[in-house]
Amino acid sequence: MSPVLAIAAKDLRQRLRDRSAIVLGFVAPVVIATLMSFAFGGGDSYHLDAAVVDNDHGELAAAFTQVLRDPELSDLVTVRTVPSEADARSQVDSGEVGAAFVIPAGFTAAARGGTAAPVTVLGRVDEPVAQQVGQAIADGFAAQLDAVRLSVATALSSGATPDGLPALAAEAAARRLPEQVAAVPAGTRQLRSISYFGPAMGIFFALFAVSFTARGYFLERQTGTLDRIRAAPLRPAVVLAGKSLATLGYALASLTTMALVTTLAFDAYWGPPLAAAALLVAMALAMVGLTALVISLSRTERQAEGIAAMLTFGLVLLGGNFVYVSMAPPLLRTLALLTPNGWALRGFTDLATGAGPSAVLVPVLAMLAFTAACGGLAVLLSRRAAR
Amino acid sequence: MTALTIMATGLRRLARDRTALFFMVLLPIVIILVIGATVRDTGEIRIGVVAAERTPLATELVTDLRQSPAVSVTDYAGESEARNALRRNELDAVLIVPAGLDGTLRSGGTVTIPLLGSAAQSIQQAARSAVSGLVARHAARVEAARFTVDNLGGTFDERLATATRLQASVGTVTVRTETVDATSDYLPLGFSYSAPTMLVLFVFINALAGGAAIIESRRLGIYDRVCAAPIRPHDIVFGETLTYLAVALLQSLLIVGIGAVLFGVRWGDPLAAAALITVWALVGTGTGILAGTLFRTPEQAGAIGPAIGIACGMLGGAMWPLEIVPQTMRTIGHITPHAWAIDGWIEILSRGGGIPQIATQLTVLAAVALTLLTIASIRLGRRLTA
Repeated sequence: MSPVLAIAAKDLRQRLRDRSAIVLGFVAPVVIATLMSFAFGGGDSYHLDAAVVDNDHGELAAAFTQVLRDPELSDLVTVRTVPSEADARSQVDSGEVGAAFVIPAGFTAAARGGTAAPVTVLGRVDEPVAQQVGQAIADGFAAQLDAVRLSVATALSSGATPDGLPALAAEAAARRLPEQVAAVPAGTRQLRSISYFGPAMGIFFALFAVSFTARGYFLERQTGTLDRIRAAPLRPAVVLAGKSLATLGYALASLTTMALVTTLAFDAYWGPPLAAAALLVAMALAMVGLTALVISLSRTERQAEGIAAMLTFGLVLLGGNFVYVSMAPPLLRTLALLTPNGWALRGFTDLATGAGPSAVLVPVLAMLAFTAACGGLAVLLSRRAAR
Repeated sequence: MTALTIMATGLRRLARDRTALFFMVLLPIVIILVIGATVRDTGEIRIGVVAAERTPLATELVTDLRQSPAVSVTDYAGESEARNALRRNELDAVLIVPAGLDGTLRSGGTVTIPLLGSAAQSIQQAARSAVSGLVARHAARVEAARFTVDNLGGTFDERLATATRLQASVGTVTVRTETVDATSDYLPLGFSYSAPTMLVLFVFINALAGGAAIIESRRLGIYDRVCAAPIRPHDIVFGETLTYLAVALLQSLLIVGIGAVLFGVRWGDPLAAAALITVWALVGTGTGILAGTLFRTPEQAGAIGPAIGIACGMLGGAMWPLEIVPQTMRTIGHITPHAWAIDGWIEILSRGGGIPQIATQLTVLAAVALTLLTIASIRLGRRLTA
């Protein structure tokens, strides 16, 4: 066996004997992915159950109810008719429906003649989206109704005589609005929570490998293991390569376990296997670079542990492993791209939402650049320390 | 007195540990900042706009969208950029203002405006409802101007100005919104969400990881040496309890203070908040000492502690509101003390509750703290005399 492999295998064996490493690398990510998948199991889509109260019984109220039952809105809204406003209020309050529309008495007559009492959209404090959607639908209906009146009013204000009003109104009503919105599917997949937080938590826990390995290095120095390895006819590069390979192996094993478990058990989508593997390898390489940096920055085991912990938590916070980075303000989204994990998550997000495998190219290059920067810095620092 | 000396030593030791200070002070603040900035009011529908032309009518349409409280608008220079943002879920829909919009509308034609939607059907429909209503208002003005030009002559721009002026006053159908309930079942959003949840999460995690100090003291033989002096083991147990309690309280006060000063969090009724913080610090104390007797090495406590803390936080609603999870998970979540503490904070922060309103939560947490502390002191006492 080549010395590189021998050193790597020894380090891995040692790591796997440590129960904390097993718990953090394999058990914890799976448990946490399970918890997340149960929590978000209800699905990520949005649906509004709404009630409608028709106190008007006129033509316009019927037209409005018709709009709510439009097949085009069927995925968004389900409407039920309730007899009274009191019923609607109690159903909204209990959460049975997300919002309720109350069409006032005399609505049709008033809308024809002058100003009608407002249509009321009832909602709950905790469901602002339901209320917003309800309001948007009602507003759209109002805008259509008002269009005819606006045409007539503009004509009157521009000098048309009131005698011709009925003819004008009839003509205006016959015309269509000149701008229409057409919904076009963008052909993307929806980002499911598990497909985002699966990789996010996998990377978070795999990052603990940095601390383990850096601490292991100082322990070996203390116990003289490193000196004895150095006594063997091996170049330092071989020792370094062996140790890096062990970290790479551990990080990859942990990440792959997460990918397999979340994919098989919870239907997460990590992307096409090759593209996902490229991201995982690049992320694991970045962890090797980080480990080298931590070792070169520290003098003792305690220091290594501390610096690794700070780096890890700093990176996962900035990179968006704890939050949906797509919901974050633009500044945070930009900052996330300063971290390798932020790039990895960007890559997994792109794959999970239907971008082609080539979408991982830039993230992989960014992570490799990060690895190179860490490695270069580590070499500089250790040369300076040696002098 | 002995207990106080032990506490002072413990706190001094902690103050010198820079890593521990990072986890106690800096990390919670940064997390409160990041989560608070991300978890904001999601009532707005996020629309990206790609305008192929910057003509008067196109600009007016985009301005209409921008002025609506229902949508938030981001401009994109190119369609592919906007599509990427849509795919990544940074937007709910993308409106493409087509080239030639202005010319077509002026010359009497009809324009179809594409609205690209994400894969989630319902979100797309919500976005479409919101945008359609806004576009209809714009179209109504254009239509009124054209109608008047057709009937009475005059220039389009002149008639459009009249229509724009009249639009606000001719509205017959108005829509008003009303909320049927005054109080929320959720924590307020933003920092008022992240500060109390992270207080619950971090006081617990830190205490759990802090068990490392007891293990180290055991390993270094500090307790053996202290026991050689005429000091009773239960004084040591009491001293350690005081240390952990002081650390948990200090950290809580720090988060409360920074939350109030930097992030403008209102912590509600002071007495109720103080009571909740105190029982939670006691829960943390019991957990920390128990961890000190359960884990074998400081590394174990430092590594497995946070993982357990995060898992409990997820179950108990410190990582996301329990209102969004299925009922079964909500029930299971209440096995953790975290869920009770968060319920308490919701009562205090969202419903203006005082001590009577959180009596149940305080009782449950006090019982948990008492149980943990009893088990922990018995175990630590045994370890000391063993």
